[in-house]
Amino acid sequence: MTDEMPITEIVHALAASPDFARDGVCFAARPSGLYRSCDGGHTWQPAYNRSEAEKALLTSAVALSPHFAVDRTVFAGVRGAIMYSEDAGQTWHTVVLSSPPPFVSVLAISPHYAEDGCVFAGTMEDGVFRSGDRGAHWAAWNFGLLDLNVLSLAVSPDYARDQTLFVGTDSGIFRSTTGGRAWREVDAGPEGMRSTDFAPVLSLAISPQYMVDGTLFAGSESLGLYRSSDRGRTWQRLGGDALSGPINGIVLDPQYPARPRILVLLHAALVVSEDNGATWNEWYPDLQDDQALTCVAAPLGLENGSPLLVGTTGGEVLIVQERFFKE
Amino acid sequence: MIPPFMRKPRARVMQPTVYTNMERVVFQPATYRGMQRGIDQLVGAIRPTLGPRPRVVAIDHVDYHDKTPRLLDDGGAIARLIIELPNRDADVGAMLLRDVLWRLQQQVGDGTATAAVLFQAVFQRGVHYIAAGGNARRLQTFLEQGLRDILEQLNAMVVHLSEREGLARIAETVCYDPPLADMLGEIFDIVGEFGRVEIRPGRSRELEREYVEGMYWERGAVSRGMLDGDGQLRTDLEESAILISDLEIKHPQQLYPPLALVIRHNIRSLLMVVGEISDSAIGFLLSNKHPERLRVVAVKTPGHDKEQKAWALEDLAVLTGGHAFVQAAGDTFERIRQEDLGFARRAWADRYNFGIIGGKGNARQLRQHIATIRAAFERADNPNTRNLLRERIGKLLGGSATLWVGGMTQREIDERVERAKRAATALRGALREGVLPGGGVALWNCRPTLEARARAATDPDERAAYRILAEAVAAPIRTIIANAGFDAFETLAELKRHGPGYGFDVVRERVVPMAEAGIYDPAIVTKSVAYVAITSAAQALTIDVMVHHARPEQAPLPNLSMPKQL
Repeated sequence: MTDEMPITEIVHALAASPDFARDGVCFAARPSGLYRSCDGGHTWQPAYNRSEAEKALLTSAVALSPHFAVDRTVFAGVRGAIMYSEDAGQTWHTVVLSSPPPFVSVLAISPHYAEDGCVFAGTMEDGVFRSGDRGAHWAAWNFGLLDLNVLSLAVSPDYARDQTLFVGTDSGIFRSTTGGRAWREVDAGPEGMRSTDFAPVLSLAISPQYMVDGTLFAGSESLGLYRSSDRGRTWQRLGGDALSGPINGIVLDPQYPARPRILVLLHAALVVSEDNGATWNEWYPDLQDDQALTCVAAPLGLENGSPLLVGTTGGEVLIVQERFFKE
Repeated sequence: MIPPFMRKPRARVMQPTVYTNMERVVFQPATYRGMQRGIDQLVGAIRPTLGPRPRVVAIDHVDYHDKTPRLLDDGGAIARLIIELPNRDADVGAMLLRDVLWRLQQQVGDGTATAAVLFQAVFQRGVHYIAAGGNARRLQTFLEQGLRDILEQLNAMVVHLSEREGLARIAETVCYDPPLADMLGEIFDIVGEFGRVEIRPGRSRELEREYVEGMYWERGAVSRGMLDGDGQLRTDLEESAILISDLEIKHPQQLYPPLALVIRHNIRSLLMVVGEISDSAIGFLLSNKHPERLRVVAVKTPGHDKEQKAWALEDLAVLTGGHAFVQAAGDTFERIRQEDLGFARRAWADRYNFGIIGGKGNARQLRQHIATIRAAFERADNPNTRNLLRERIGKLLGGSATLWVGGMTQREIDERVERAKRAATALRGALREGVLPGGGVALWNCRPTLEARARAATDPDERAAYRILAEAVAAPIRTIIANAGFDAFETLAELKRHGPGYGFDVVRERVVPMAEAGIYDPAIVTKSVAYVAITSAAQALTIDVMVHHARPEQAPLPNLSMPKQL
């Protein structure tokens, strides 16, 4: 970390280039702005080209195009606006969202961004904004979204066909099968529990084979980790006491479910399973006393020894290269 | 059990029609004969409209100035316009069926022609059986038992559609207007079963739609002076407090406590919902207008009666997290606290409506509140209550769509609006209860089960009921095929050869797999048709005597064409 990033900061979000193995590009969203690294997260520079006199631009979300190697597109969420760059963060365009200014909590890009140009921004209090023209214009599409406090967002890998995405909110999960234009409640939670009893959903992860297996994971604030294998209709709790506390992030192996590795980010630990959630192993990073883990990115998947980028409440980005799994 | 042929024939053949001073009493067989004649006349008028290739019925206009007949292809509208038959015996049968069809139209928006054909088939065959000595009451019981089998069969065939194309196909089966059906498919794909959709006459030839974010109520600002005069006459409030009440504000002093509260808490926008507000109170608000410090817009409590107003207050309170002040409970603003106010990210008002976007109520409570209203909707029998509850849910879901229906002439626009409304009702039903193979195939597919039940039955009345139903469920598909100009006998024989899952596509003029062809009807329509037609026909079969009251002497109609002659 460079001196521009005071230690009191928090890393809200991390995003890595799909071509990370070759270019080592990754971004970190922090209250003092967006930071870029071109060496796999070892050194960081401010991504916004601003004079020091200007006020820090609180950045709460970041997402990279799935075709980043070609289109060099990055989106960043700042208070009341979305910024996007088409040259890997050298220059930026700003699109102001409707007033009063929303707080962008999460950004997600369509897996078929090159063709459909769809980007989604989840906000606190204002629901989901959607752009269908590569970020140039944004509109709120919240029909049926009864809770406008969006904490997490996941887009189906087969989005071009099924137009499906999920959002995790303060009061549970909502699903859209209309490309984010309309939402329906998803009954998430333990058996016998109504959807409205569900805790805030901090993280969501969709299986890369969602179109076949219909599998979706949801990490809650206080009820643990849940998996649905029927597109959100029914849910099973995983991990039991091993996964108590807020689930801040979930990463699935790119080869899931053929290789059923799951990584879960807890408040102070990384917990992994290589048998689809049947058993779990914890790993505790070396954190300062008052720090916690906030977000995670696995740019090279869940291979033994491949780097994991982990954001902390202290503003640091840890590079974890452990051998979590049996060979 | 006495077989029908051994039962003593009833004396109905011998009973004369009895005239009294005031009434005419009609006995069997004149009762059945008269009713049958009326039913046949009404069904004859509606039958040509059944199917995707309907023919048109011309109805003489009631308005004596306008000699142009109305051209209709909608069974419900035709039934509604036939208000009396000259023969009073026939009139009883026709009006009985008319009432059944109109209620069906009101409830599910479609299916009247199918119901008419089915009703006629059951009634006609039932009369034959009863005339041969069958027992009407026992036949009614077994027809209703057979109806349960039909509904069970239909339930097993139900599939659920949700994507836009499927919904558009459903809409097309009702409105026969592909561009309109496509747009309705898109709208309902977004708004869903309970979504708020307004269908209005358009001002052009085109179809246009608009989606409105948030929820709104039909009550505008109480004074234009409260609206921004930028040409739109609308005020938008950000991070607004919402004062929720149905209180009658007679004096400006009543407004002091809430205004003092919002100023004390540095709130910059206030949407005030009140039952009534006097001119002096409005004047006080306008004369103390300081938009840089506080923007205030007052609107009246939505709703046309006490119950609707109470619902609106409850919904606003849950949505915004505020407390409703209710006149009937003796509430006043005197001790108002900050937590009594609701809040929203945005609120707006214009001359006709006010709305809220991003209410800051508890989302869990809102979801529970909607679930409670949905449960009340499911329980409600009264169509008006169901409509009101559905509208209420639609509002709370946080968005609405408006469809403007255009056309070449005002008459075309009106008819298209009517068709769009019927298609919308059918789409809501399809979203709620799924769909069934269309074109009369679903009912026809019930036939093997009914035939098997007839074979297994030991009671003659039971056997007769199942045979009547097995024949009657084929009547709609026969009519559709015949209306399209094909031979029903040959076509049905071909359908039998193909087996289950196939139907006749009248438009493409060939037998097709129904699922692949996407020919569906809303399940609620088909099931309601079966239920309404069979129970009503079974009940009509139990009518043994008709009593006609003497009609008062009618005054001659005024000569409405007189002004023209002058």
